Amino acid sequence: MLTAEENEALCRVGPGTPMGKVLRRYWTPAFQLSDLPEPDCPPIRVTVLGESFVAFRDSRGRLGFLDELCCHRGASLTLGRVEDCGIRCLYHGWKYAVDGTILETPNLATSTFRERVKHGAYPVREAGGLGWVYLGPPGAEPPFPAFAWAGAAPDELAVSEMIMDCNWMQVLEGSIDSSHVAILHLDTLATMGSGPRSVGSFEFAGEPWDLDMQVPSGGSGWPSDDNAPRIEVENTPFGFHYAAIRDVTGDPGKKFVRVTAFVMPYTAFIGGSSGAVIVVPRDDYTCSSIGVFTVPKGAGGAAAAQRARRGIDPAVWGPEPGNRRLRLPRQDREAMAAGKSFAGFRGGNRVQDAAVQMSSGKLYDRAKEHLVPADLAIIRLRRLLADSIRLVEAGQDPVGLGEGCDFARIGAASQVIDAGAAWQDLVPAHRGIREPAARSAR
Amino acid sequence: MLWLSIVVDKACTQIWDARDSGKPVASLRVSPAVYDAVAAARPGEVARDCPLMLLGLPLVADHGVGTYDPVVC
Repeated sequence: MLTAEENEALCRVGPGTPMGKVLRRYWTPAFQLSDLPEPDCPPIRVTVLGESFVAFRDSRGRLGFLDELCCHRGASLTLGRVEDCGIRCLYHGWKYAVDGTILETPNLATSTFRERVKHGAYPVREAGGLGWVYLGPPGAEPPFPAFAWAGAAPDELAVSEMIMDCNWMQVLEGSIDSSHVAILHLDTLATMGSGPRSVGSFEFAGEPWDLDMQVPSGGSGWPSDDNAPRIEVENTPFGFHYAAIRDVTGDPGKKFVRVTAFVMPYTAFIGGSSGAVIVVPRDDYTCSSIGVFTVPKGAGGAAAAQRARRGIDPAVWGPEPGNRRLRLPRQDREAMAAGKSFAGFRGGNRVQDAAVQMSSGKLYDRAKEHLVPADLAIIRLRRLLADSIRLVEAGQDPVGLGEGCDFARIGAASQVIDAGAAWQDLVPAHRGIREPAARSAR
Repeated sequence: MLWLSIVVDKACTQIWDARDSGKPVASLRVSPAVYDAVAAARPGEVARDCPLMLLGLPLVADHGVGTYDPVVC
């Protein structure tokens, strides 16, 4: 639980807020590169961390990420013309370069103003199908999180974005919440062929119900009936990683381990999947849940979007950011009552997750919750964010900036191993970049 | 500002460590300031005469416990 004041501090992200100051110290994935496919294509409006920007690709293919409103009279540059290495405001024709240089002021003949003033412009980089921006103090950019898929070709990546109508922390916490997986996602496990399972006294037959569902690839299935995983967490220079450890049904000599790595402040590499889920606040009441998954060459990009339309509202995959707002499908109460479905939502894990996360309201009051020890990863996340707020307020760096960290080696795992084996051996690349004490509370 | 996120993280870590060592855990001792903050955050439970609980354990106010040093016992 959190006090109301603490909850506000962790959840609100606008300029000048405690968490807003923290998040602006990291690189933030703000838009999909597929939205700016070629030089001089139409610009897009981007809302991130409670502010609005315009992103565009100039005649030379360079990305620009500028304050949205023209600094003359405040018209939106998203209406502007992208031409001749700049973006021109429609209102009075002021023109800006990707670095914020004011190139032309047609209704101001003298050059003094444009020589002395620059429009708000922010560093932007392209990686993993996403445009990443740095919105913090100039010159204090942290190491860029070049994950393993940062340089992957578009046809080797499946990138999706769901805009969700709730505060980002509700979604972020869900991305590292292990103990819900074998409960909320029973329908997914059924599609994966896990068979009958129970939740408390409820016996679920486990027959596949949502046949169009995309199921996680990789991993070793779900060989456990244990709904109360043991959680072990270790802090790392990039944030933390943790293991959810479950008994293996019928084999006391083994344990089922899912290792998740959390990279401050947005990204979770989830055990059993081929990529990551990135949760970015758009403002205090909406966020983007971005999935970036590696796929065999030729299966990504538009092909992946086409396949993923099965079972998911096509609007999620539409080209316009405004069309990515998640619309939950009808909950199938008949299938639930008949025992065919547990949750009643078609569309797979991310739709099921979104349903419960948004059901808590626009901004959940965590004073009301009752955490349990199985929530340790969520608890640790909040701790690191709280520590970061205190550090930044004291004029220091937030945690997990990743100095000296090879982001490309960060990953996840899902596997059955010997009961006496160390789960850390499943993520050997993390060895040497993790701090020594297990579950250490700094 | 009182950071319950620190208190809860430390307490939860202690609970798992106790379980690893086979030690029973029965209660969570916290400073009066933390106890009061939890009580203030849960007026409904206080009004219903429910015991204050955190991480599944009954909460005990203890003047000998530091604000950010909860004790699982």
